[in-house]
Amino acid sequence: MTNILVVADIKQGELKGSTAELLSKARAVGADTAVVAVGSQVKELAPQLAAAGSDTQYILEDASLEIFSAKPFAEAVVKAANEFNADMVWFGFSETGKAAAPRVAVQLEAACATEIIDVTLDGDAVQIIRPAIANKVLQKVTVNAPKLVAVVRAGAFEADPEIAGKENVVALDPPEADTAAKIKELISDASGEIDLTDADIVVSVGRGAKDQTGVDMVKALADDLAAGFGSSRAMVDAGLMAHNKQVGQTGKIVAPSLYIAVGISGAIQHLAGMNGSKVILAVNKDPEAPIFNVADFGIVGDLFDVVPLLKEEIKKIRA
Amino acid sequence: MKILTTVKKVVDVELNIHVENGAILDKGLQYVINAWDENAVEAAVQLKESHKADTTLVSLGSGDNTDIIRKCYAMGIDNAIHIDDPALAKADSPTFARVLQKVYEAGDYDLVITGKQAQDTDAGQAGIMLAEFLNIACVSNVIKIEVTDDSHIQVSRLGDAGTEILDVTLPAVITVSDGINEPRLPAMRGIMMAKKKKINVMDLAGLGTSFEDVGGTAPTSEIKEFMPTEKRKGGQKFEGEPAEVTAKVVDLLVNEAKVL
Repeated sequence: MTNILVVADIKQGELKGSTAELLSKARAVGADTAVVAVGSQVKELAPQLAAAGSDTQYILEDASLEIFSAKPFAEAVVKAANEFNADMVWFGFSETGKAAAPRVAVQLEAACATEIIDVTLDGDAVQIIRPAIANKVLQKVTVNAPKLVAVVRAGAFEADPEIAGKENVVALDPPEADTAAKIKELISDASGEIDLTDADIVVSVGRGAKDQTGVDMVKALADDLAAGFGSSRAMVDAGLMAHNKQVGQTGKIVAPSLYIAVGISGAIQHLAGMNGSKVILAVNKDPEAPIFNVADFGIVGDLFDVVPLLKEEIKKIRA
Repeated sequence: MKILTTVKKVVDVELNIHVENGAILDKGLQYVINAWDENAVEAAVQLKESHKADTTLVSLGSGDNTDIIRKCYAMGIDNAIHIDDPALAKADSPTFARVLQKVYEAGDYDLVITGKQAQDTDAGQAGIMLAEFLNIACVSNVIKIEVTDDSHIQVSRLGDAGTEILDVTLPAVITVSDGINEPRLPAMRGIMMAKKKKINVMDLAGLGTSFEDVGGTAPTSEIKEFMPTEKRKGGQKFEGEPAEVTAKVVDLLVNEAKVL
């Protein structure tokens, strides 16, 4: 029997969709499941964590964990993994997962794989599939170590609404704070904003929007759609969009149902962050823009004409 | 302050990659310095300029890395080590981290700066594992480094909830994102001077270790096969009267794709 521990993905007190996706996949491969939740207000999430498909919930709630710190976070995950006798530890795709997974892997003497999109178990043999080289190739990787720590790429697995686990809460003791890399302050992202990596629709803005007026116009379209609002690298470099909005190989990886690329030409690095989207709509003036090579639907036109029209049409169908 | 930066030579992701029979074809490939490592080099050189830091670069690999090392010299790096060993062609992240640990331990460094991940593997593990092996502080995905005093730096990290500000006691490993800086284009004078500088090339034995010693003979995981990514195909592209085509596309999104 394989034991899979899923690390709950929690943002601003809310459980993100990836947790149920990972637990569904873990159950689908026939594993026993547990989840570990770490934070300053996570106890109350226990029923939700059980409903998402876990049969044991390791809960570490402590005021000191309000702001993410990789060392104590990783220690908590290691503690839960040891108590559960986990063969695998899965993180959802997040900066938290990317920072903690290599630490957890070293401490558990496990193999570490980031951005996995599939995992297969054949007896004791574990094989994973992950993209590499800016999503241009896939690697088939076999795991030699007895344990695996993995970060699962956004959109890789689907949540099965039929499954549910049972509530069995195990409280963990808080680890010591990291005294060598001390958290001083968190400058929060605007609250109430729709999380890019969790959004069902994402609207991203590129260089074509030119300036703040253009950005605001595209943002208004995102707001109308209750969509996450992202950006190409160029707009971040130009200071028009925040770093945490960048979609691409180096920024956020998104896989929404609908991705709307507005004024984005489609550099390789950007495509690597969004080509897992179910449907892509691109709006661009240049009919030769590479974004059209991946877009299911393309509108060749000036975004300053098209975006207001899109807003109008959407208003009509939502009325 | 003594800084160690790491650079990796990677396949140029802008070019087409061909996969045949489970392997990447050599044909048409070009190799460049990993973009995030270039940010790490720039960060180190900026600390050299602002705080007289001594900067050493290490590159790991199998084969000649002279071109990318010369570029880093031209950007302002003081010393360079190239660990050239054919065994490293198939090494996994923990093994790379163990090799870096050997380099670190031979040099008495205060700060290690690496790119947050390599463009060829997108793994993002070696830097963090290095810190874990050394049991020293580590902050990943950093977009700002400021020196507080001889033994402390303050860094900004892009996390899930926002920008985290941390006070870090040295020694430490920092992995940087591209938001930290814009790597400089080396000036002609730097390029000319870089040609005269010596590169300290050694194999694992020269570093006082062996492939077995760094865990290379017992890899935690192995790449068995490469496969081409299923390519998305362009779909329907509409040109013409904006109001007309926009209405048409929204209709398709609602009734055909069913995503609105």
